[in-house]
Amino acid sequence: MLHGLLWQLNSEITRRCLEHPFVRGLADGTLEREVFKRYVAQDAFFLRTFLRAYALAAAKSDDLEHVRLFHQLMAGVVDELKLHAGYAAKLGIDLGHVEPYPATSAYTNFLLRIAWHGSLAEIVAAMVPCMRLYTFLGSELSGSLRPEHPYEDWIKTYSSDDFRAPARQLESLLDNVAVDCPTGRDAYRYAMQCELDFFSAPMEVPP
Amino acid sequence: MREFEQSTLIVRAGDLWSQATKAQFLSAIRDGNLPQEAFSRWLAQDYLFARGATTFLAVTIAKTPRPAQKVLIWGLTALDLELDWFEENAQKRGLDLNVAPHQTCRRYVDFLVASAYSQPFEVLLAILYGAEVSYLCAWSALEATGPYAEFIHRWSNAQFVEYVRQLLRLCEQYPHADQQAQFNEVLRHERDFWRMTWEG
Repeated sequence: MLHGLLWQLNSEITRRCLEHPFVRGLADGTLEREVFKRYVAQDAFFLRTFLRAYALAAAKSDDLEHVRLFHQLMAGVVDELKLHAGYAAKLGIDLGHVEPYPATSAYTNFLLRIAWHGSLAEIVAAMVPCMRLYTFLGSELSGSLRPEHPYEDWIKTYSSDDFRAPARQLESLLDNVAVDCPTGRDAYRYAMQCELDFFSAPMEVPP
Repeated sequence: MREFEQSTLIVRAGDLWSQATKAQFLSAIRDGNLPQEAFSRWLAQDYLFARGATTFLAVTIAKTPRPAQKVLIWGLTALDLELDWFEENAQKRGLDLNVAPHQTCRRYVDFLVASAYSQPFEVLLAILYGAEVSYLCAWSALEATGPYAEFIHRWSNAQFVEYVRQLLRLCEQYPHADQQAQFNEVLRHERDFWRMTWEG
C-alpha cells in the first residue's frame, strides 16, 4: 500500500519528530508553558489553512464518497480547533492575532500552493503526514500519561480513536487516488519535514 | 535607482530593503572572486524560481483588470525568454538545471503561488514589484563588465528599468492596505535567497 511505503520511506524524519525536545517535553510534562502557548497559537493558524486545503480537495473531487470524507475531515479539524480554543481560554492566548513564524508560513504556503495548484493525489499526499504523524505521536505518548499530567488533553486527543479513524481514512484515500510517483513522494516528504520544523520553531523564538 | 528607493513601499520597508539588495554573492562578482560553486547554485535555483514566478504571473494576469494586464503580459513574455536564456546558458556552461529546489527557493515559490491564488490583484502587483525592483537595484549596483557582464546587464538595462517603473505606477494606481506587508515578505525571501546562493 502506498501509505505504508511513504510512512516507511520517511521513518528517519518521524523518528526525529518523536525524539524532538518539544515532543519529549510534551511526553514527560516538562515542556515550558510559554513554548506550548506559542505552539498552540501557530498550530491554530496552521489548522485554518489545513481546513481550506480539505475544502479545495473536495472541490477537485468527482467522487461523492470522497467529497463526503472531506466533509467529515473538515468537521474533525473544526473539533480540533475547539481543543485549541480551550487552551487559548485557559492559558490566555490570543488566537485572533497570530503572526505566523517562518516555519509556519513555509508549511501553509506549501499546502496552499498544492491545494490550489496541484492534483487531488498531490493534495492528499501533502495532508496525510500531519494526520499520520499526530496519530503516531499520540499513540507513542499515551504510555506517558499519569494523573494530573499537564499535557493530558493533547495526548488524549491525538491517541483517541476519534483522531485515529480519520487519519486512517485519509491514508485509504491516498491509496485510492494516488500512485507512487516522484511528485507524491516529494509532497509527502516535504510535509513531514515541515512538521519537524514546526516543533522547533516555538522553542527557538525568544519569550 | 533613486526614483524607486524614494517610493513609499521601499522607504517603509526600512532595513529590509538593504538586506534584500546587498549580498555577499554580488560583492564577490564585483570583486572578481565569486566561487564557481556559488554561481552554479545561483543559476539553477534562480531558474527554478523563474519557473515558479511564471506560474505566479500567469495566475496574477488572470486576476488583473484589463488596463493593467498589458504590462504584466509583457513581463510574462520576458520571463519566458528568460527561461530560454537560462537553459541556453546552463547548456553552454555544462551546468545541470534539473536539480532539487533548495528549501529557501521552495519557500519563495510556494509563497508566490499560494499568494497568486489567495491574494487580491492589488497585493499581487506589490509582490511582483517587490521581486523585480529588488533584483533591479541589486544588480544595478554593479558595473556591467567582467565575466558576469551579461548577467548584470540583464537586470539593469533600460528596458527592465522601464518595466519596473510601470509596475510601480500600477501599485500606486491600485493601492491596497496589505501591499506593504506582502512587499516586505518578498524582501525577506529575497534576503534569504541571496544568503542561500552564498552559503548553500
